[in-house]
Amino acid sequence: MEYVSPEGLRLDGRRPMEMRQIRAEIGAVSKADGSAVFEMGNTKVIAAVYGPRQVQNKSQQMSDQALVRCEYSMANFSTGDRMRKPKGDRRSTEISLVIRQTMEACILTHLMPHSQIDIFVQVLQADGGTRSACINAATLALADAGIPMRDLVTSCSAGYLNSTPLLDLNYVEDSAGGADVTLGILPKLDKVTLLQMDSKLPIDILENVMQLAIEGCKAVANYIREILLENTKQLEYRRGV
Amino acid sequence: MLHNKSFVKKTRAGRVMKQVREHYLRDDIFCGAPFCKVCDTSGARLSASPSTILVLDTNVVLHQIDLLENLAIDDAVVLSIVLEEVKNKNLSVYNRIRAICSNSKRNFFVFSNEYHRDTYIKEMTGETKNDRNDRAIRVATQWYQNHLGSGVKVLLITNDKENKRKANEEGIHAETVETYVKSLDRPDLLDLLVRPSEDVDMEEVEDLRPSKRKVIYIEHKPMSEITSGLHRGIYHQGKLRVNRYNPFEAYVGSESIGDQIIIYGRSNMNRAFDGDIVAVELLPQDQWQEEKSLSIACGDEDEDEDVHLAPNSADDAPRTIPQQGSSGEINAVSSRPSGRIVGIIKRNWHSYCGSLEPMPMPAGSGGIVHALFVSKDRRFPKIRIQTRQLENLLDKRIVVAVDSWDRQSRYPSGHYVRTIGEIGDRDTESEVVLIENDINSRPFSSQVLACLPPLPWTVSSEDLSNPIRQDLRNVRVFSVDPPGCKDIDDALHCTALPNGNFEVGVHIADVTNFVHPGTPLDDEAAQRGTSVYLVERRIDMLPKPLTEDICSLRSDVERLAFSVIWEMTPEADVVSSRFTKSVIKSSAAMSYVEAQARMDDSRLMDPLTTDLRNMNSLAKKMRLRRIERGALTLASAEVKFQIDTETHDPLDIGMYQIREANQMVEEFMLAANVSVAQQILKSFPLCSLLRRHPTPTKEMLEPLLRTAAAIGLHLDVSTSKAMADSLDQAVGDDPYFNKLIRILATRCMSQAVYFCSGELSPPEYHHYGLAAPIYTHFTSPIRRYADVIVHRLLAASLGIFKLPSIFQDRGQLTSVSDNLNYRHRNAQMAGRASVELHTLIYFRKRPTDTEARIVKIRSNGFFVFVPKYGIEGPVYLTTRSEKGGGEWYIDEQQQKIKKIDGSISYSILQTVQIHLEVVEPQPNRPKLQLSLI
Amino acid sequence: MRGIDLAALSKPQKLRLEKALEELESLSSKVNSDASVTVADSIAVNHEDAILKGHGTADLNGEVVATLCGIVERVNKLIYVRGLRSRYKPEVGDIIIGRVVEVVQKRWKLEINYSQDAILMLSSMNMPDGVQRRRTAMDELNMRIIFEEKDVVCAEVRGFQHDGLHLQARSQKYGKLKGGQLLTVPPYLVKRQKQHFHHLEEYGFDLILGCNGFIWVGEHIEAKDDMVEDQVNQSEPQVLLPNKSAGNLEEQEKNYTALETRKYICRAANAVRVLSTLGFNITLEIIKGIIELSLSLNLDIHEMLGSEFCVAVAEKEAERRKSNKKRR
Repeated sequence: MEYVSPEGLRLDGRRPMEMRQIRAEIGAVSKADGSAVFEMGNTKVIAAVYGPRQVQNKSQQMSDQALVRCEYSMANFSTGDRMRKPKGDRRSTEISLVIRQTMEACILTHLMPHSQIDIFVQVLQADGGTRSACINAATLALADAGIPMRDLVTSCSAGYLNSTPLLDLNYVEDSAGGADVTLGILPKLDKVTLLQMDSKLPIDILENVMQLAIEGCKAVANYIREILLENTKQLEYRRGV
Repeated sequence: MLHNKSFVKKTRAGRVMKQVREHYLRDDIFCGAPFCKVCDTSGARLSASPSTILVLDTNVVLHQIDLLENLAIDDAVVLSIVLEEVKNKNLSVYNRIRAICSNSKRNFFVFSNEYHRDTYIKEMTGETKNDRNDRAIRVATQWYQNHLGSGVKVLLITNDKENKRKANEEGIHAETVETYVKSLDRPDLLDLLVRPSEDVDMEEVEDLRPSKRKVIYIEHKPMSEITSGLHRGIYHQGKLRVNRYNPFEAYVGSESIGDQIIIYGRSNMNRAFDGDIVAVELLPQDQWQEEKSLSIACGDEDEDEDVHLAPNSADDAPRTIPQQGSSGEINAVSSRPSGRIVGIIKRNWHSYCGSLEPMPMPAGSGGIVHALFVSKDRRFPKIRIQTRQLENLLDKRIVVAVDSWDRQSRYPSGHYVRTIGEIGDRDTESEVVLIENDINSRPFSSQVLACLPPLPWTVSSEDLSNPIRQDLRNVRVFSVDPPGCKDIDDALHCTALPNGNFEVGVHIADVTNFVHPGTPLDDEAAQRGTSVYLVERRIDMLPKPLTEDICSLRSDVERLAFSVIWEMTPEADVVSSRFTKSVIKSSAAMSYVEAQARMDDSRLMDPLTTDLRNMNSLAKKMRLRRIERGALTLASAEVKFQIDTETHDPLDIGMYQIREANQMVEEFMLAANVSVAQQILKSFPLCSLLRRHPTPTKEMLEPLLRTAAAIGLHLDVSTSKAMADSLDQAVGDDPYFNKLIRILATRCMSQAVYFCSGELSPPEYHHYGLAAPIYTHFTSPIRRYADVIVHRLLAASLGIFKLPSIFQDRGQLTSVSDNLNYRHRNAQMAGRASVELHTLIYFRKRPTDTEARIVKIRSNGFFVFVPKYGIEGPVYLTTRSEKGGGEWYIDEQQQKIKKIDGSISYSILQTVQIHLEVVEPQPNRPKLQLSLI
Repeated sequence: MRGIDLAALSKPQKLRLEKALEELESLSSKVNSDASVTVADSIAVNHEDAILKGHGTADLNGEVVATLCGIVERVNKLIYVRGLRSRYKPEVGDIIIGRVVEVVQKRWKLEINYSQDAILMLSSMNMPDGVQRRRTAMDELNMRIIFEEKDVVCAEVRGFQHDGLHLQARSQKYGKLKGGQLLTVPPYLVKRQKQHFHHLEEYGFDLILGCNGFIWVGEHIEAKDDMVEDQVNQSEPQVLLPNKSAGNLEEQEKNYTALETRKYICRAANAVRVLSTLGFNITLEIIKGIIELSLSLNLDIHEMLGSEFCVAVAEKEAERRKSNKKRR
């Protein structure tokens, strides 16, 4: 299968180094402390953050830091075939864990002892790169909830098909069976908080692909920053003191 | 600009799913015209000032690819929608058009109209996909015209009447291929055109074959019926394999009945070509045909057996159908299922090499003439073509492509593609050999050559200081090769150790130091697979500087090598073995003859000769041990030409002589290969490239046993050891007898093949001929790509280099090994064809009488093998007209042919005197004829 | 746009809203708009001066970096980021409204939109009878008579102790709230002011603006209390403590709130909702203005949540701020 034409165009008309269109919206869930919708092309994810709030299960309460919980789910209508998506299956458990760990790494949990933060992410439309979209949405929702963070976490995937590193794989490219690297970085600190890969890649190619993913993460970070700044300004001027 | 495509798709489970795909429309797709002022012209491909720019419609690309490949067609824009359609319909045409587009000499530009903001169109309601695509092509053409302005004429080439009409309505210039080609005023191009079937003038056909205007073949069943028939088990699916030596006999290997189905005759073959995937219906059992192969020539046309080279393995030999043993005689009806083809599931048409059947020039010359094309490969039927240049083509070798074959015509119709050269001309015929065997003899591209290290190349200090590379320059290394060998890929050394043991090293050219995975050089080598040795030339796998200089382990120069080093006892037991990359300096590059002479000359006591003698004694012991294990000493009827250096004509021809020195080198190469195989398999049990030689089945050995039985020889073939022993005991009264039996045994076996170790279970790794549990190829990386792969595996197993990614994908490795087998086989076939060609050239001037041995008895004659020239061919006892004449009868049991009156009889393996002569039954069709003296 | 369902707006409405918001933007002080930061933005500081890093800042290789989205504030040496949307950050003396989630040993636990539940000790509570005395075991057993689970309670932040945030209700103005609506808005919309208890006489209801973003709109309760009077409240006689005793429950249930009052309560509640949706500051003055606006437009109560009114409020707010600015 030809995923990159000799003219250098991918199946959906992007070039190998191009991301899909990204769009973000803050404040999609009115009852939540913080919420956001994040879209990468046709992948659309909604995230809601509750907290920091009283720990529900006392035994989990920690006196030195906040408890971070995360729940990932996929809407029944998120994929082409409408299926009941069972909760707590292996995949969503794994992604929940991945998102929780990634977010926990950037939340200043020690500032909020005895409390818990709940992150709910749900995939509304799945077209590849849901993990990345979830992380980006969660970052926005956390920032919206006014939870202190070390840095924004942004994520982007990259793959390697037809001997070409490709940024931000969509579903078709994702299911091509090539390597798929999902990367999460702290752009300001310049640190990697998440690195996952399906399949194998030689180490030098992995470096190229990772570099591409980092570029992608940085682009997402810039966009998220803009959105957040715009949101902050708007909140401030609308409040008007 | 973003646009979402959504479409409905049916899943395999039969459910309907809506799919939505993003489709980005861009503004950075350029028109490819260098004179364009708006676009970025860095990627421009069209010529600087074309008068006309062609936009090709899908049907034109699909059907007129031969025309497009002609240099006369230029400045064409290929739209991405067209490429996509072509890809879905015919992958091989797609690859060809892609090749044209990427050829820097051609001005073909691919315009991604589907992603361009202005040329993307949405499907309208009620519009079929085809109509939409046609509209897209018109829109793109229009865009080009508007974009480039009136200075250039943008011409849509389409053979679709509807599309052309609409284009004209919309004010787009549109023409059919024919009118365009006619406007070019190049009559030769017209031959390249494929005429759409409805355009064929029926009257002409009528004129040509008035009596044949009837249905000749039964209709192919529709696909739906075939599918259901396959499902219900009425039909069987398989690949059609036409007998190389009898085009009227074909086989379909069918998994559903677990046996091969024989198809006799053209009408049962029902227009199928060799290599087609077909659906077969079994004939009722009473129509299953008797053996026909008992007579030499069969079939309903006057084609007959040719003289050819003696086959080297079962794969080369004509298919012999195992006969029912004496017990089976009771059943008169053959139990082999026969069938007829009811439908073709997938065509395997490509272009064929051959010549036109001689025919008189028709009166009105210059007009269109129908001619019959005869493929050189006899597996293919004659092909009817139209031409305007008959007088030019009659004495030429030409390439022809097949277009269609309808029920009314006996032969398929096709069109002329190109001319190779004059028939009988050695260069032309060599070219034919290469084309027929799909061998790429083009010079290496500049990208490939760019991968070479700068010349002149010498071992650098980095190489020497590299810790992975051992410095063996002080070791006395030498090489032994055939005379005149320039690509020396192996060298040896043998040093006596203080403890009485010997250190023996095999040094193989370190090709992988220069050929890195993923480079164009590597891709090219992988594609070529092997060097091809023709009688008069060599087609290299790697570019000449690598083959003959940088990699070649020539004497007195420092070279990089990959070494296998053993410590051996004087009894040739391996104490230890190790592998290392190294730097060597060969002290002598000897020929076999020289090496043999040194060993034999007892006066010489210099160190080199001592080394040679030590090695030879070790090799003899190793060889003995190998034979004890059951390795077969097989023989082939290889011949050697002496070629005139000026004219490249063969001067002499003779059997290849094998000396002790050959065997010595061979022995160490085998040992190195086995050692390496063990090492890589240990490290990579799932992705090693190994070589196996399957144990021959009983059926395969049947002809050998029958022959042996006829002369009263008992052969035990239960194991390779038993076989080797009984072959050793088969000593007849004449010295050549044993070799003859060995040759016969060899040709019963199939060839060794490469495979990926993950594909088979360890017992299947066995190499029958060498009686080795595992084997691989390591010793000739300059001329075999398999060895390059093995070098990389070995380096990776030593931790020197990381394993290239290809090895992580078993499927890919399997396809590589399949390609290697295919290339290897083709290279062999090409080599044999080249020898056959030169044999013919040699005998053209020298009719000869010589001795021959009967190897096969037939009802009207026998096949003889001529040991001296390594050729095999039929000798007729009766003339063609009295086929199966009554004068002679055949004694099946004793393999004898006797005259009715008992006066003369010929038995198998008997020596006869024959006369060799080149005759030309038809002009320009020389062939070698054997006749009994 | 945050909080506003743009899809429900007609095109002219959208344009009007945008215009109003643009006006608001232009009215806001320029200083603040430059001071906006997001997470991980570095904050420019003059390193010559000694600085104190406050809330919402962190140190990254000597650089001051924001850990929140908000506005950079500088007070002398102190630099901090004032976060906007976040949970309530209690300060001692804040008047807050909470909901009882748990009744345990000598204390109530209240949800007050803080990262933990707040604690109201029985001992920090004025007894309903107004008598200052030791709390007996009997009182402990009868805690539910005072507040039950889900009761809405008004209280004051007392301070942090080892076991969490403590509240007190040592005045008759604090205590259980009933006969009204509790609204929750983001806490940053409620500014700390002198006065959080309001009685809108013309409409006959009470408005309590809890600092934690819980806002109470309820029937005005006239009651007399002569025991303890808060210093602050002395000048505000209209704020009266709820007079209720355990024995009076039945009577209270019969207590009937006039329909007119209830309508005004709903109007006020909807006014708060609209403001919260638009993200406007919530003060008595503004709420009053919006109620007046709704009345002058002759809108039904439910129409106040419609998009047209939302746009009207935005326009009115823009106008108001403009006139405010001029006045200044």
